[in-house]
Amino acid sequence: MASDPHDRSVKDDEPGRDLRSERDEVLQRFTRGSRFAQEFLQDYESLEQRLRTLEGENAALRSTIEADHAVRDLLRKIETLEVEKAELISRFKSAEESRSSVSSRMTEIELEFANLANLFVASSQLSSSLSPRAVARRIKEILAQLVGAEAYAMYLANSDGTELVPIASEGVPGEKLAPVRIRDSLLGEVFTSGEARVNEDSNPSQGSPEHPAAVLPLELDERNVGVIAIFATLSQKARFSTVDFELFRLLGRQAAVALVAASLFMRAEHKLPGLEAFLDLSV
Amino acid sequence: MAEYSCLIVEDSPMMRQLLVFALSRVKSLRVTEADDGVDALRKLASARYDIIVTDINMPIMDGLKLVKRVRSDPLHKDTPIVIITTEGSQADRQRALQLGANAYITKPIQAPQVIATVKELLKIQ
Repeated sequence: MASDPHDRSVKDDEPGRDLRSERDEVLQRFTRGSRFAQEFLQDYESLEQRLRTLEGENAALRSTIEADHAVRDLLRKIETLEVEKAELISRFKSAEESRSSVSSRMTEIELEFANLANLFVASSQLSSSLSPRAVARRIKEILAQLVGAEAYAMYLANSDGTELVPIASEGVPGEKLAPVRIRDSLLGEVFTSGEARVNEDSNPSQGSPEHPAAVLPLELDERNVGVIAIFATLSQKARFSTVDFELFRLLGRQAAVALVAASLFMRAEHKLPGLEAFLDLSV
Repeated sequence: MAEYSCLIVEDSPMMRQLLVFALSRVKSLRVTEADDGVDALRKLASARYDIIVTDINMPIMDGLKLVKRVRSDPLHKDTPIVIITTEGSQADRQRALQLGANAYITKPIQAPQVIATVKELLKIQ
């Protein structure tokens, strides 16, 4: 008769010896597996924790690197800006130099213009006066208003050429206005040599009739006919300027001419010469 | 460009010519001349001026009287006045400033100084 494989369980609930050991083995394995699983979980958790830590560190490092990049970018920008700043400063300096040079040139031109205006006005005033009195008044105005003379006199030589006779003056005491001998006097020396004497070593406002600040010869037709003596200037005029020397030259060449022309015109009773006087000019 | 008008009061034709020359350098400035104080008042009665430049020593009516008259005229009481004096006439200068003059220039005059003073008072660049 065939045996029933299930028969044993039916007959006996107790596991067989093999099964028990198998069960124990399974249980042991299970226990071990459970322990492994627990250990694995712990490891997993610890690794997860480590991962989080590393991720945190990584994020921190990344932000540091980013910050470094930003700093580098900023530094590069600063460098570029510094270069631009230096360039702008140099351009500004060069523009400032040009501006200053233009400005000083403008000042020079303005001064030159002012000097030319002084000379033009002096010349036109001299040549437009038709009476000796008016000419003398203009000469005095030029000396007082343009040169800044305070005490001065104009002298003409007498007919025999021995004395210089004062014909107009301002600010000079009467007793100091006597005719001056040409020989042995500073005024006579200037008259004879035709060369102006300007005392450039001392303050012209401190001059006196004995020590004039400037003496200028008066020319007419390449002859010296007199002198102008500036004894002292106004107190604020501490020295003669370039335009003053130009005015001295202008007075030297034009004052006597204007005086003589006005004198002849007056003598002719302000009559204009007839047309015939101009017909044979050969020009 | 704004245009300004200037009245120059000076009895000496030479100084007047010089002042006209100097102030003609200011592009926006129109210059009118007067021989003395009376002539100036006549011109001030018929026109308005932005600035007056006047000498102190003049016949008929001097600069001090002119300053006084201009300051008492409601139409011109605020018009800037520049006086021209000599270094020695400090009393005149003080008197002119007390009467209402705004600035002074000392003789011998220099064109750049005249221009600068007028520009400053008119606030022209």
